[in-house]
Amino acid sequence: MDDKITLAVREKAKELLEQKVVDCFIGYEKATDNLTSRPLFVYKPEQAERLVFDNTCVHNLSKYLLNKKDTKTAVVAKPCDARAIVVLLNENQVQREKIYIIGIVCPGVVDSRWGSAGTEPEVRCQGCPQHTPPLYDFLIGEPTDEVEQDAYTDVTAMEEMGDADREAFWKEQFQRCIRCYACRNVCPGCYCPVCFVDLKEPLWAGIRVAPGENWMWNNIRAFHLLGRCIDCNGCQRVCPVNIPLMLLNRKLKKEVAQAFAFIPGMDPKALAPLATFKKEELAEPSK
Amino acid sequence: MTSFITKTSLKTWLGTLLKDNTLVAPAAAAGLTFFRPVEKIEDIAFDFTNTALSPKSWFFPQTETLSGEIAGNGHKTLNPEALEKNAVLFGIRPCDARGLAVTDKVFLITPGDTSYIERRQRTTLVGVACLEERAECFCTRMGSSPNSPADVDILLTEDGDGYLVQVMTKKGQTLSAGAGQQQSDKAVPPIVPTKPPARLPLKSAGPSPDMDYWDQSIADRCIHCNICAFVCPTCYCFDTFDIEKEGKVERLRSWYTCQSPNFERIEGYMADAPKGVRMRHRFYHKLPLFPEQLGSGYAACTGCGRCVVSCPVNIDIREIMDDVEKFRASVGEEKAPQA
Repeated sequence: MDDKITLAVREKAKELLEQKVVDCFIGYEKATDNLTSRPLFVYKPEQAERLVFDNTCVHNLSKYLLNKKDTKTAVVAKPCDARAIVVLLNENQVQREKIYIIGIVCPGVVDSRWGSAGTEPEVRCQGCPQHTPPLYDFLIGEPTDEVEQDAYTDVTAMEEMGDADREAFWKEQFQRCIRCYACRNVCPGCYCPVCFVDLKEPLWAGIRVAPGENWMWNNIRAFHLLGRCIDCNGCQRVCPVNIPLMLLNRKLKKEVAQAFAFIPGMDPKALAPLATFKKEELAEPSK
Repeated sequence: MTSFITKTSLKTWLGTLLKDNTLVAPAAAAGLTFFRPVEKIEDIAFDFTNTALSPKSWFFPQTETLSGEIAGNGHKTLNPEALEKNAVLFGIRPCDARGLAVTDKVFLITPGDTSYIERRQRTTLVGVACLEERAECFCTRMGSSPNSPADVDILLTEDGDGYLVQVMTKKGQTLSAGAGQQQSDKAVPPIVPTKPPARLPLKSAGPSPDMDYWDQSIADRCIHCNICAFVCPTCYCFDTFDIEKEGKVERLRSWYTCQSPNFERIEGYMADAPKGVRMRHRFYHKLPLFPEQLGSGYAACTGCGRCVVSCPVNIDIREIMDDVEKFRASVGEEKAPQA
């Protein structure tokens, strides 16, 4: 099945580049370990042969669309990646007419890092709201209505810790943080021209890699993705010191789902609850 | 004659060292291993392959704070920091020890960096040779070797229920005096052969015919995080930040990297350059430029492979060296400007 997807991706890439529908095609190729995959930018039809697709294609390629705003670009998108594109469209960060989406009906991806392909499904695939991308120009695979219910077992376990235990748990996690900002740079939702953490005036979090400042960085990063995170697991996957960032993101996802019955990235026309302003909200809150 | 120390004696010895020294050793956390000051021998991960982060952070901490006073005339004095105790770094791999030889070139140049000098002089390196080569390792391609004793004070090579001991320096002699080693008629295995350090062959600055390669094959993919520089045993760039308050001054110093867009704003050098230039600069600095500028004889890459494993998008320095070699061959020697 994977081979079939690979062939379909190559064929489509070749066609789009030959007919000049797009100038750049972003997909995946095999990494240097010959086990996992990495992003590939294709500019010429003859390079399309390098493209692959299998269950190690973990990267969310939608992030790269932010660097290709002036180029007509095609991108391979799993459902969660397509949801990221929906968020970027909602937030006016990319133009629909500049993007060509190759949607993949996704069987799920495995937790893989360079050197080991892994066998366990990634955390995002448990509780995946949809296996068919919500938005695409060309679909590879048979569309399915299959929906997984997110049981939030990991989040519930964290909620059930006492306050002191939970604080101790996160302090322990964040003290490992080396502030490489890979979690930010890999995230399609993090596109601010100047991130708060890089600001010297006002100083939100200083350059000191120390408990308080690491705490500030990691929490604000998560809060800025409130109601916007599409669970692509990118931040957690790239973290070189194994901080379980998705646990924070998923806690916030659960809160937004409960408060607003909203899952980000599902509908290109639906605005995120926390990015929406309604006039009637000006009224005094009822006592 | 070589000497030999059993695994039990090694633990006893390390236990003795713990009394008067800070013992920095590999310790497990979150499924990974990190060099950390340990409180008891049981915390040491003796069966580690290599740590997630390099031991450079012991000598060049990710964040340092120098404190000082502001005098009446506004003159500021910063007080050098002193270690409480001498330190022993146990478990350093030969590649990471080579990394220290690289950072020495930078921080020991007269007048030297007081904090680094203090930590370096007061720390004894007890290295452990690598017996297996992992998929990401390439030290033999960078002029180092999995069992090179060149850059440590003592090198241990595992052998059966103990370690063969090579004492390389005076510092090592002093430290190992009470180690409880036995004479052994076993010879230390020969040093695994190494190639001369790899160097990128093209000119290190200015416009170059290889720019398309950097722009389209490397820069497009890079997400410009700081991982490669922060896991690297040789990257030594830093940022500083001063805080003044009530007659006191604090100078913070934290790691920084040429791959961060803010860094280039400060440095100016690459301020308006495309991403590919930034990428190219990183590899050219590590490979031809560092030995040129500091006369080290070896590159500022030791082949530890950490960036290979940790890069989120698989920017693999070995592949880059191969590609640039191929490129050089394709344009011909005469067209490729020499480094």
